[in-house]
Amino acid sequence: MAEFHLEMKVNGKPIVLDVDPGLRLLDVLRDILHLTGTKEGCGEGECGACSVILNGKLVDSCLVLAPQANGQEVITIEGIAQNGELDSLQKAFLEAGAVQCGYCTPGMILAAKVLLDHNSTPSRLEISKSISGNICRCTGYTKIIQAVEIAASRIATKEGADHA
Amino acid sequence: MKKRGYGIANMWYGIGNTANHNPSGAFVDILDDGTAIVLTGCADIGQGSTTVLAQIAAETLGINIEDVVVVAADTEVTPDAGATSASRQTYVSGNAVRLAAKNAREQVLAKASEELNIQAERLSIYQGQIWVGDNPSGVMIKEIITQCRSEGVLTLGHGSFDPVTTKLDSETGQGIPYATYAFATQVAEVEVDTETGIVEVKKIVAAHDVGKAINPQNVEGQIEGGCSMGIGYALLEEVVVKDGEIQGPGMSTYLIPTAMDVSEVYPIIIEEYEASGPYGAKGVGEPALVPTAAAIANAVADALGIRMYELPLTPERIIATIKRK
Repeated sequence: MAEFHLEMKVNGKPIVLDVDPGLRLLDVLRDILHLTGTKEGCGEGECGACSVILNGKLVDSCLVLAPQANGQEVITIEGIAQNGELDSLQKAFLEAGAVQCGYCTPGMILAAKVLLDHNSTPSRLEISKSISGNICRCTGYTKIIQAVEIAASRIATKEGADHA
Repeated sequence: MKKRGYGIANMWYGIGNTANHNPSGAFVDILDDGTAIVLTGCADIGQGSTTVLAQIAAETLGINIEDVVVVAADTEVTPDAGATSASRQTYVSGNAVRLAAKNAREQVLAKASEELNIQAERLSIYQGQIWVGDNPSGVMIKEIITQCRSEGVLTLGHGSFDPVTTKLDSETGQGIPYATYAFATQVAEVEVDTETGIVEVKKIVAAHDVGKAINPQNVEGQIEGGCSMGIGYALLEEVVVKDGEIQGPGMSTYLIPTAMDVSEVYPIIIEEYEASGPYGAKGVGEPALVPTAAAIANAVADALGIRMYELPLTPERIIATIKRK
């Protein structure tokens, strides 16, 4: 099959590749760009381990064909730390003990990031809903929800300070 | 109509393999700079054993946890520490690491005793420094280790631990299957919709005797995770096998709890010191899940006044049971 000329932005960097058009975005990220923070879980869009942010929306990268990402902007877990400093969500996950085996963590953090980007003062129910497409078998979600609450309150405090 | 109910369940659970040997080994090497490497076969699958073993080594050696590196579960370099199963790693591998660290510490203190001309029994290590009784000696362990090296002496400790059990008598079943046990009580509050048959778990209070909680945050995480698995066991998860084939082989057909399915969980850690455990610790892995489904089923029975004997308590089963009554 003819290769597909793919141009996209990944974590702010322009990427130009010729790829098999049957590849999933997940395969391009992991196997070609070696961004292995994105995990493959079920491979059928149920578990959310492969979540990435595509043009501001959370998607399962196992359900996105590489050509569908053409001209789009992708953010993976590798792309949210700024200048070597962890994102507020990453810090809060560590602090709350929200990481156990860690397999769901990249997807969870990105799901929470999309939530907080749109709603910086979410309720507990809104947090649960926003991560309900991301399955975690170890933590029981309690500390993940607490971590998102911690990050939200930090962001609110910081925004308050910025406005002052 | 929505009916509310409360249920309680208790459990006790043996730590380690049943009526069988299940030893763990460990090495602890104190390096020239006063930091330490722990070698253990213990596989951390997310429960936090690597953190707990680093804490145990740091506590025993008298150095900071930041100065401990744990190399775990690498068959090329680490000694066997058995399986991460049977809720055994904190108890069994924790003891192995404690004994290995104690062994390395004794070597440092023997040399310090020579150098300071003070009996080793009066010496201890705290924050990387040699202490005499309640007072810092001003001598760092690094200096003692440098002295050891100049004499060609390594400060390498080894340790192993095997829980004390016996075989069970084949006639009577009597014996000592486990060296120690964890105990727990969980209370569940549920709401059952009598029209749809949907059970919502509102709250679980989970009290667990874990011996000493070496890392309380990890213990809570284990309890919360166990309760979530228990909710799945009680309400959602069923392995159906037909003609030797599992009917729910994927996550779209075998449903496990999402963040919308779990309840609030209130862990209560009970610290009943276990003399044979490392710093009094036992285990919490499986115990966290054991009583949950029973507590939920009891709560559903309380809500409906009907007892059900088959899990999971799916809406279909609940409705069928209500109709039968």
